[in-house]
Amino acid sequence: MTAARCLAALVAAAALAGCGEGEPRAVAPSPGAEEVGRLSIFVVNYPLQYFAERIGGEAVEVVFPAPANVDPASWAPDPETVAAYQGADLILLNGAGYAGWVQRVSLPQSRLVDTSGGFRDQFIPLEENVTHSHGPDGAHSHRGFAFTTWLDPGLATLQAQAVRDAFAKARPDQEAAFQQGFETLEADLRHLDQRLSAAAEAIGDAPLLFSHPVYQYLVHRYGLNGRSVHWEPDQPPTEAMWRELEALIADHAAEWMVWEGEPIDATVERLEAMGIGSLVYAPCASAPREGDFLSVMLANAAALDHSIR
Amino acid sequence: MKEALYLAWRYLAYHRIKTAILVTSITLIVFLPVGLNVLVGQSAAELTARAEATPLLVGAKSSPLELVLNSLYFESDAPELTSYGQVIRVAESGLAEPIPLYVRFRVREHPIVGTTLEYFEFRKLRFAAGRAMAVLGECVVGARLAASLGIGPGDTVTSSPESVFDLAGVYPLRMRVVGVLEPSHTPDDLAVFVDLKTVWIIEGLGHGHQDLAAPEAAAGVLSREKNRITANASVVQYNEITDENIDSFHFHGDLAGHPITALIAVPHSEKSGVLLMGRYQGDDEPSQIVRPIGVMNDLLDTILTIQSYVVAAILIVAVATLATAALVFLLSLRLRRREIETMVKIGGSRLSVAAVLVSEVVVVLVLGVSLAGGLTLLTSRFGSAAIRTFILS
Repeated sequence: MTAARCLAALVAAAALAGCGEGEPRAVAPSPGAEEVGRLSIFVVNYPLQYFAERIGGEAVEVVFPAPANVDPASWAPDPETVAAYQGADLILLNGAGYAGWVQRVSLPQSRLVDTSGGFRDQFIPLEENVTHSHGPDGAHSHRGFAFTTWLDPGLATLQAQAVRDAFAKARPDQEAAFQQGFETLEADLRHLDQRLSAAAEAIGDAPLLFSHPVYQYLVHRYGLNGRSVHWEPDQPPTEAMWRELEALIADHAAEWMVWEGEPIDATVERLEAMGIGSLVYAPCASAPREGDFLSVMLANAAALDHSIR
Repeated sequence: MKEALYLAWRYLAYHRIKTAILVTSITLIVFLPVGLNVLVGQSAAELTARAEATPLLVGAKSSPLELVLNSLYFESDAPELTSYGQVIRVAESGLAEPIPLYVRFRVREHPIVGTTLEYFEFRKLRFAAGRAMAVLGECVVGARLAASLGIGPGDTVTSSPESVFDLAGVYPLRMRVVGVLEPSHTPDDLAVFVDLKTVWIIEGLGHGHQDLAAPEAAAGVLSREKNRITANASVVQYNEITDENIDSFHFHGDLAGHPITALIAVPHSEKSGVLLMGRYQGDDEPSQIVRPIGVMNDLLDTILTIQSYVVAAILIVAVATLATAALVFLLSLRLRRREIETMVKIGGSRLSVAAVLVSEVVVVLVLGVSLAGGLTLLTSRFGSAAIRTFILS
């Protein structure tokens, strides 16, 4: 890491120091990272932080500066935090349009790693796609893709591979250690895939409801028969939303709704009254309060399996 | 001999105006070709230094000179445009690191250089104040530009329309200055640096406007059919990127198709550079790759050819001047006939008289050549700095 990057890291540390609830929680790489020659890695979501830490181990210092209580997909850093990103040795992007702020800031192109760049052909286009026109250029749309790619363990493995390759390119002398870290992670993701496959087999073609349209890659990998609404777990749905749900289950008789987070009791009770159970499958875009990415994903798989069995 | 020199000196000192004219003439006639040679040599070195520091340039197939002048010195009109896809192509080749350049728009007469952060590292530019651009709409200015406009971090600059008649053309974009560079005595001192995406916004390829689905934009919406919204021209488009509206800025189309004027390719090795050049040799290849130093050497060869004509002309003038000086001496001998006779009558030998007269010529020549030498020395000492300060930056 150059002196300029070190300075940027210190500036970021000063800027981010003393954060509390709702403020950036992570800090810049510790000064010690420079002394021991660790790579300074900035990421845009927690799954990438987890992959980077598993693969890089002690050789990397991973920073994810988004506040804990904000969805990283819609979060945008302030200029000081962007400056901290600029000082990183590598910046791991999720790709597929995740973290739209990346398009609106200046980041060092040579240090960006698009972890999903290798499987763009597998991106799932979003169904909701507003087209508008307001000038001589004619109609255009802000076409987007589903971006929670890590919910498919196969794609997550490809992302982890991209992380490994980037680390090995930056530190060729530590390639073997990175490969070892990747192999243990890959084994864990394979185990997760097996658990999810077993759950999906048990579910079969049974209709499922998803509270948020973020499970596209999970649905696609395991062939689930799922439809999405747009409900927030911590907010009571409006009557219009309930009517929309009633219309939906008329031809999609789901018995389970899969939530991003723990739904409020009133919603759970009313759903139960309609014959719909609730289960939580956390996408884990932010760091969990307890456990880590793998434990949360295994808990998701267990919840899916046990609830539906 | 001493006496002859003394008498010669006293004569020259007495006729100081004539002496001064002769010395000045000889000084200039010696200095002009020599000094010009030194100055041209230094200019060539200064010009080629930037070209030498830029290994490869990729651009659309058009004039290589225009491509180099625009990309290195921000001079000349924008060359034929190429696309950002070329940047992706070079990056994916794994042979070189690409640094895109889009030098087309201006703030008054100063170039706006759309690039990436790697440009600052590549040119070894350091910040005198502030920081690099972090978000869209921020810019960094060169040292001389900041001084001449009296601006610094916190101030704003506005892009100029390409033409005063371009009423329907690009929107002027007000940009926040967030950093000032240290002087580098290069064209970077007079440039405004922005992120490449900010230039695309200036061009209208990316823009921010009201959310057409929001109630505030209802007055500007002509029709709304399922997922298709048509708006009229009253929809507010932003001409400054602020914290409040930055989220509304977006780009239309595939970024790979967006324009740039050139890209600097920094090969990972000499071999990588050769391999990369080989990839641009096809007849149906729409892009060209050039070594800027080669293009600049061709230009300098032309300049040096012209210089040799100038030097030849100066040499002819020099011969004429020296002939005139000789004539001045010969005429002065005729005018000084009585003085010479007096010197002989009071006992001076013809050899002593000749020594005095030759000493006068030698002193004038030595003075003239010495002054020319001094001026040449000064030129070689301060010429480079003067060229960097007054010509290149």
